[in-house]
This record gives sequence, structure tokens and C-alpha cells, in this order.
Amino acid sequence: MATERVELEAPLDFAFQGVVRLIVGGIAEQASFGFEAMDDLQLAIERLLAETGGDGRVKISFEVTDGGVRTRVGPLREGQLADALQEPDGDMGTLTLRRILSTVVDSFGVEEAGDGQIVVRLEKLGTPLS
Amino acid sequence: MEGRAGRAAQQREDRELLRRYHETGDTLAREKLIARHLPLVRSLARRYAGRGEPLEDIEQVGAIGLIKAIDRFDLDREVSLATYATPNVVGEIKRHFRDKGWAIRVPRSLQELNAKMSSTIDDLTARLGHSPSVMEIAESLGTTTEEVLEALEVGSAYSTLSLDTGPGGDDEGDPMETIGSEDEEFDRSEDRATLGPALARLPEREREILRMRFEEGLPQTQIAERVGLSQMHVSRLIRRSLVAMREELG
Repeated sequence: MATERVELEAPLDFAFQGVVRLIVGGIAEQASFGFEAMDDLQLAIERLLAETGGDGRVKISFEVTDGGVRTRVGPLREGQLADALQEPDGDMGTLTLRRILSTVVDSFGVEEAGDGQIVVRLEKLGTPLS
Repeated sequence: MEGRAGRAAQQREDRELLRRYHETGDTLAREKLIARHLPLVRSLARRYAGRGEPLEDIEQVGAIGLIKAIDRFDLDREVSLATYATPNVVGEIKRHFRDKGWAIRVPRSLQELNAKMSSTIDDLTARLGHSPSVMEIAESLGTTTEEVLEALEVGSAYSTLSLDTGPGGDDEGDPMETIGSEDEEFDRSEDRATLGPALARLPEREREILRMRFEEGLPQTQIAERVGLSQMHVSRLIRRSLVAMREELG
């Protein structure tokens, strides 16, 4: 399957989380993810958006490949979020956003997007039907 | 006659446990009362099965009604706890359905599909040896992938709301939260994206599920086996716990 790209711009409002989750579900289905992998990707994006703590809108892009789904969220004006994502994990028992993402996606990172903004990258590999 | 005598004995034991809880603050007595009356909750919850929500979720809501009844019970009342608790449990369940608008806003076909989802996913996981794809779930249920996604979504949306307690402006907080005790294993942190303090206030079962998922790194299927819930229910508990923790932090 050729790499396909899907772009989405959505309100950060909690009321629209369901819409985003539904779209993420559809994308995960296209990548032949199993229920659990789909749920993981949905949770990753959901928690990331929740932690931005902002209102306004957010851009999310997805690349669906044979290998999985690469997601980019942002640009976001959120220096504190970037710090939290780049800090090493805290002691066991401290449930940070970093720990959540480390568990549910295969890799993630932060890119500078200029003008004090960041883009968060998430990669969920397509361990088929897992 | 034996049944009547047995009920009378149970009522006396209930009253003694209620007295210990209300007069001396014996929380062990409270836990015993909860355990003794969970079969009543399950029986009442079954009346509301088949309305688009897993029975185990309805039982959980009913248990909140039971706990409220135990906490509010007036020892001067000449009534059994079962009699007093029944309208509390039923009321909690009805209010839950009403406030979330589940039966009103969600088409019946999706409610029914959602109700089948949990067991279907578990059955397919066991049969196929892997977490089933949306396509596999759809084929098993004789429906489309779009409908499966919609049904999963209405369940998720519903469950993220359903941890909220005190519906209708009730500000009593979640009685289930009082069961869990502070867990010193979870450190406090000033980090905005750290959910540790709120974690400590979750019910014990939810904390344990989060610990298994995010510390042990166990997949949902294994957690589901360990705690005796469906995979979908574990997924919902994780999601709603994280939402509740974030909301608590503001």
C-alpha cells in the first residue's frame, strides 16, 4: 500500500474529541490495526490534545503506510508540554504524559516549528492485528 | 420459614454492621456491607441490561447507589438495608441513563451493536489469537466497519462521561473514591503533565489497572484477564480514569 496522507484541523474543545477519535479509528482501520493498537493510538492523541490545555484549533496529519501510522500534531504553542515530553521518565508510579505515550505508541518526539511553536510526532507501528 | 429466618438474621447482621460503621467509623464494616449487598445490585442492574451498555458498567453505577445508601442510612429507621438501598440503586442507575442521554441520543441499532461489542472483541481475541481488526469485528457482527467504529465511539464517549459522579448537580463526590487509600508509591510532582496526585485518589481497581498498563506495560488483554473484565471495559476504565485525573487537576 502506498503511503496515504490525511490532514485534519479540529477545535481543541473537549466536545470534538469524539470526532477526532472516530477519524483516528478510521485511519487505524485503514492501517489494519487490531482493536488494541487502534485504541492505543486514539488514547495517545486524546491525551496529547487534553494536555495542551488550550482552546483554539489544532492541526493533525496522518501518514498511513504498510508499516503503521505516523501522526503529527501541531504547531502548538506549548513550551511546558515540550519540556514534559522531553524529560526523562520520573520514578515508577509517576504517571506522566511521557510515560503514557511511551506505553501506547512506538516512538514520539518533539520538533521545533519556529516562532516558539512545536510539533509532536507520534509513530504507531503496524504490528499487524495487535 | 427457613428463608424468612435467614433474612431476619441477615438484617440483624446488617444492622450491627451499620451501627459499627456509623457509630465507630469502622470502614471494614462498611466494606462488608457493600460485599453482602452486591448480589442485590447485580440483580437490579440486570433489569437495565440490553439498553446499549455493558452490564458490568451498570453494576458499577448501581454499586455507587448502594454505597450512598449505606452512608446515608439512618439507624433510627425501622427498615432493612436491602429495602432502603433498592430505590437508591435503581435511582442511581436511572439517573445515570437519563443524565447521559444514552437512550435518547444514540440510535437503538448503535446501542445494540455497542452492547455486543465487548463480548465479540473478547471472543475474537481468543479465537484468532490477536486483537481483532475493525474489519474482523464487523464481519463477525454482520455489519460495516463504519458502524463498528461508530458503536465503539458512542461507547467511549459515554464512558468518559460516566465517571462523573453527582449527576444533576449533586456535589457529593464519588463514594467509590473513598474505598481507595493514598498510595505512597505514586510520587507527587509539580509537573503540569504529571497526573500522580490525582492518580492516588482513584478507586483502587482503576489505579491497579493504570499501574499494570503504564508501569508493567501489560496489554489490555492481559489486564482484562487479571482483573476479570472484558478488554473493552479495561480500555474504558483507562480512558475515563485519565480523563477524570486531568479534570481534577484543572
